[in-house]
Amino acid sequence: MRKTRLFPALLMVAAGLAAAVPATAGERGGDKEAFARGARVWSENCTRCHNLRDPREFRDDQWRPIIAHMRVRGGLTGAEARDVLTFMQNAN
Amino acid sequence: MPRQATHRRLPALVAAAGLAALCAAPATAAEGEAALRAELEALKRRISELERRLAEQQEAQQRVEKLEREVKEVAKTHSEWKDAESVLHVAGYAAVGYTDAEGADGSFNVANFNPIFHFLYDDKVLWEAELEFEVLDDGSTKTNLEYTTLDWFVTDNVTLVGGKFLSPAGFFIQNLHPAWINKLPSKPAGFGEEQAAPESDLGLEVRGGVNIGNPWKLTYAFYVANGPSAEGELGGGEIERIEAEAKASDEDGDKVYGGRVSVLPRPGLEIGVSAVTGKLMVEDGTSEDKGRDYDLVGADFSLVRGNLDARAEYVRQRIGARAGSLWPDEAEWKAWYAQLAWKFRPTRFEGVVRYSDYDSPHAAEDQRQWALGLNYLLAPNAVAKVAYELNDGQSGQPTDDDRFLLQFAYGF
Ligand code: HEC
Repeated sequence: MRKTRLFPALLMVAAGLAAAVPATAGERGGDKEAFARGARVWSENCTRCHNLRDPREFRDDQWRPIIAHMRVRGGLTGAEARDVLTFMQNAN
Repeated sequence: MPRQATHRRLPALVAAAGLAALCAAPATAAEGEAALRAELEALKRRISELERRLAEQQEAQQRVEKLEREVKEVAKTHSEWKDAESVLHVAGYAAVGYTDAEGADGSFNVANFNPIFHFLYDDKVLWEAELEFEVLDDGSTKTNLEYTTLDWFVTDNVTLVGGKFLSPAGFFIQNLHPAWINKLPSKPAGFGEEQAAPESDLGLEVRGGVNIGNPWKLTYAFYVANGPSAEGELGGGEIERIEAEAKASDEDGDKVYGGRVSVLPRPGLEIGVSAVTGKLMVEDGTSEDKGRDYDLVGADFSLVRGNLDARAEYVRQRIGARAGSLWPDEAEWKAWYAQLAWKFRPTRFEGVVRYSDYDSPHAAEDQRQWALGLNYLLAPNAVAKVAYELNDGQSGQPTDDDRFLLQFAYGF
């Protein structure tokens, strides 16, 4: 009896988690393509001027202004910048 | 909660069932009583068992509720970090170095620290600014606002940039000069301060990139700015130099226009052309000559593939002649370099060779240079460099002295 009651409760917690962090959950599960495209943008564009930087170097929030900065520097399109940000934030 | 209500009613139901059992007449009084007692005991045990389970369940429920609250809090903190509308980030780079030139004593002559500030609002507006702190020969510290711009991401392909920016014409100054990026401890001949390549300007810039058919890509940067001015020999004669640091004034009232366009036929291969035109003022502190023709042309190339990093760039700035001026002659500053770097993977070493040639209106400043370097990459952004320059300039000038250089640079 305890098991059957606890299970829905755990499901509720999981649902709560998913609802509270939709961005991460959505990007991870829903937009695998953005991640793959971002990985390509990273390996093909981020070596044009300097050595390739590791996604693990910075936290998710730090990558936002850095990628914005590099978008201006390197003439990345908005779509490329969003994809590479998705990649950096999920590969770190 | 209905679940709990059912549980509270349970003991009552059980008691009622017990009473009903009591009312059913037993065969003999003694037998009946014993049976009833046994049944009552059994019922009591069941009730206390049920009560125990109920308490356990309530406890579990409380634990789950507490966990839910905690998860929400953690999730909120996480998303506050990740999704806050405004983000401040400090980046930058620092370098220390040692130079031993033929004609001078060796000295630790590089110590600088360049913090870069980024403030991003909602992925729409970015403010970026770089300060430079540098220790000078006499022990004083030079501070310089390298750039400060507000960048507005108008569309996916257009960004509007306003403020003091690194000159959008050319490649080295914009993209390769930071010490952790530059593969040699020194800049190529002609790409230093007030030489052939302009440093910065104050104005407006439109820049961005467009995909023009897979895998072709195009990047562009067009600008209008106050433009440089030039220093003439005191009392007339030759034009000494172009002052290519941005100014917050435009004495001649004439702006300069220009920019750079590059194509990337495939990833890692980039070919760029730059052009700028406008007017500038030549002055010597007492007299001035406004509206002199000024123009720049440039071309750059880079190929980055696997272990190879190959680059070349040409730049020429010119001030047109004007009869009757205190400084009547045309003046031209031009420079080019070609550089090959190779990473010796899997080691952390990288070898570099660069040729550069600077040609100015003044023979004493001209220089041709071979530079050889060996780098040790502690990390992609932390590099220890050792290099030797074979310099060929006017004899007796510092431009003619060979140099040995050490540098350690870190970009953060
Ligand atoms: C057009 C040249 C260019 C391209 C392309 C480029 N960078 Fe940079 N990057 C720079 C320069 C130049 C700096 C140094 C910042 C400065 O001096 O303003 C820099 C700095 C950085 C830094 C240090 C933090 C900072 O913001 O200053 C990181 C991290 C970085 N780049 C990552 C990347 C990534 C990831 C990409 C690919 C999306 C990329 N770069 C593409 C030129 C470039």
